Amino acid sequence: MNKTLPFTFFKIHPKAILLEWQQEPNSDLLHELNCFKEKIKNHFKEFSQITQGYCSLLIQLKSNIENSNKINNELILLHKNINTNKSDKISKHWSIPVLYEGLFGLDLEYLSIELKLSIEKIISLHTKKTYNVYFIGFLPGFLYLEGLDSRLFFTRKKTPRLKIPKGAVAIGGKQTGIYPDQSPGGWQIIGNTPIKLFKPNDKKPCFASSGDTLSFYPVSFEQYTVILNSKNQSPYLKSKK
Amino acid sequence: MIEILQLGWHTTIQDLGRFGQQSLGVPISGAMDLNAFNWANKLLNNDPNDACFEITIKGPILKFHRATYITITGAKVRLTLNKDHIEMYKPISIKKGDILHISNTTVGCRVYIAILGGFQTETVLGSKSQFKGLTFNDRIDKKSVIAINKIPFVTKLAGIKAHLIDYSNINLKVYIGPEYHLLNTSSRNSLKIKQFTISSQNNRMGYRLNEKIKQQLPEIWTAPTLPGTVQLTPEGTLIILMRDAQVTGGYARIFQLTDDAINLLAQKSTLDQLKFEIIRYKE
Repeated sequence: MNKTLPFTFFKIHPKAILLEWQQEPNSDLLHELNCFKEKIKNHFKEFSQITQGYCSLLIQLKSNIENSNKINNELILLHKNINTNKSDKISKHWSIPVLYEGLFGLDLEYLSIELKLSIEKIISLHTKKTYNVYFIGFLPGFLYLEGLDSRLFFTRKKTPRLKIPKGAVAIGGKQTGIYPDQSPGGWQIIGNTPIKLFKPNDKKPCFASSGDTLSFYPVSFEQYTVILNSKNQSPYLKSKK
Repeated sequence: MIEILQLGWHTTIQDLGRFGQQSLGVPISGAMDLNAFNWANKLLNNDPNDACFEITIKGPILKFHRATYITITGAKVRLTLNKDHIEMYKPISIKKGDILHISNTTVGCRVYIAILGGFQTETVLGSKSQFKGLTFNDRIDKKSVIAINKIPFVTKLAGIKAHLIDYSNINLKVYIGPEYHLLNTSSRNSLKIKQFTISSQNNRMGYRLNEKIKQQLPEIWTAPTLPGTVQLTPEGTLIILMRDAQVTGGYARIFQLTDDAINLLAQKSTLDQLKFEIIRYKE
């Protein structure tokens, strides 16, 4: 195997190959993974699907892999031909309205005490940043976001909550995210969005995809209710720039 | 249509599952024991993806409001149609008004009922498999009234001898996983030798095992997982992901069950024993 290759191969299942990059995730790697992903999708006749993590891609094929070396060599060639300067995929930016106050930011007061930051400061640090959408996992429509201000890093709850409300905006370790549906979870809840993150009956069930960027903006309770009840929520996702 | 006269413990509609949506965080789902599921459809000459009932441990009582054919496969149960005993792994002719009783499972824990043409429930993202947040219901409840197709002209059914899997087998065949190399010799040995017990935390998402591994592996950068991935948590607990599992995870992936091993595990439940047997890929 080529020593200078940035990733390793691992046959994880008779029909699946895992590619892993032994490094910390960053936006350059994210871009590389997304460009590589497009190439892989179009290359293999037997392609079934591809999922991704922070530093990995899992390629699933429709039939058993008879010759791993051949596939690995094809992947090396594909990777060589990636042009990261030119991407066919246009990345989009999404602005997510969040109600931070009151009952919606269940852990805001606790975080304010523990982080020694005022609630206003926490909100402003959370809304000021632009986050990278790395991939979708955990639940349908759960976006893994990177870019949280280090002053907001906070460990997960030791005992996870049994029910985190749908739309909860939360902080877990170095990450921030939105719960697309009610679920158990250990992240600290700082607000709630009225935006539906996953609509299973839509042609495109989730508006965001890997490589997009996202930011949060604060809304009042009145605005929250209007957005929650509006049939078309897309105007509220538009960039506020 | 079919009416639910009495609920079982946990009954869902399942087909082969949802494919091509995993990059949106959508689990594959589908029948837990795909082998038994496939036989149920095959014995009726159904389409391989036709939706079946998946019954866990305690069976429901069903009333049929239309003539049809069914087959019942999977875990061993006692079946009574009206007052008559009927057999598993055989097409059964159903008349309008028939009532089917399904006993608790005796060997294995998941039973499949296939019906001619499949159960006609909603399709979401290419599958009828019920999943919370995707399909309107995440299980069959007492109010469920399930539509079924009109009986078409039926050619010859039956005549197939089904291959039954020995559900009492405790050996799960596994491939080594991407983080297996982080384990020390003593952990590897105990994984090979030890017999493990399934905890009460076992469901369609995953099976947690009681016995712990002494070695503690760090969490990894969240990465893709598959049904059948065996995770090791930082506390040394083993979790085997099943059909409804999330598509990514942050725990070390030490093994991957073979497809047959997933089907076998699907028939096991709380306090059942299991052992891991490492195999290599044939190439």
